[in-house]
Amino acid sequence: MRANRLLTAVVVALSCVAAEAAAADIAAGKAKAAEVCETCHGAGGNSTSQDFPRLGGQYPDYLAKALRDYKSGDRKNPIMAGFAKPLSKADIDNLAAYYAAQPAAVSFKQ
Amino acid sequence: MNRTMLVAALLVAALPAAEAIAQGAPVGDAAKGRAKTQMCQGCHGIDGWRTAYPEVYTVPKLGNQHQSYLVTALQEYKNGQRSHPSMRAIAASLSDQDMADLAAYYAQSGEKMAGK
Repeated sequence: MRANRLLTAVVVALSCVAAEAAAADIAAGKAKAAEVCETCHGAGGNSTSQDFPRLGGQYPDYLAKALRDYKSGDRKNPIMAGFAKPLSKADIDNLAAYYAAQPAAVSFKQ
Repeated sequence: MNRTMLVAALLVAALPAAEAIAQGAPVGDAAKGRAKTQMCQGCHGIDGWRTAYPEVYTVPKLGNQHQSYLVTALQEYKNGQRSHPSMRAIAASLSDQDMADLAAYYAQSGEKMAGK
């Protein structure tokens, strides 16, 4: 009985670790970015057009929040709403992780 | 008659351009923008700073961002297209010239660009 509980605890703990590790898949984010984002936001999120923000090197939690807000309509932009609505939570986390991991197009500035 | 019509056509064609000039977006001055960053620095001036309300996330890096995107972001906070309460309050206090100056300043590369 006690052994079973211990085993359960270990399994739960391990699956939490696995879930954490699976939270963001940069390779999947790269594939999704190529499919959906790159035309405007540029290779590696280093957009060359003034109209489209640079994403490379941005903080991942900010990028994910922006996508969630476009998806929910809290941030109102007809173009981005169209792209964000079909994205799953995993897509959003993967895209955020991918762009955050690119060479910094944006940088911290005081 | 032909001449009148030509003049009328030219006037109509010139209207959008004249309107754009009249509404002319202010030209940003980075040095003036630097002097206006007091309101920004409490969050954007601390690398990795997280905003706590209404949601916890890291405030974005602004250095080397596109100038016109930065102006658009501030305008969208001012007009309510973006909802973050602190940014809405700050943007509401900014003139178009302030926005242009701040955008010109932040569009320059950040201090950590070379090191990263």
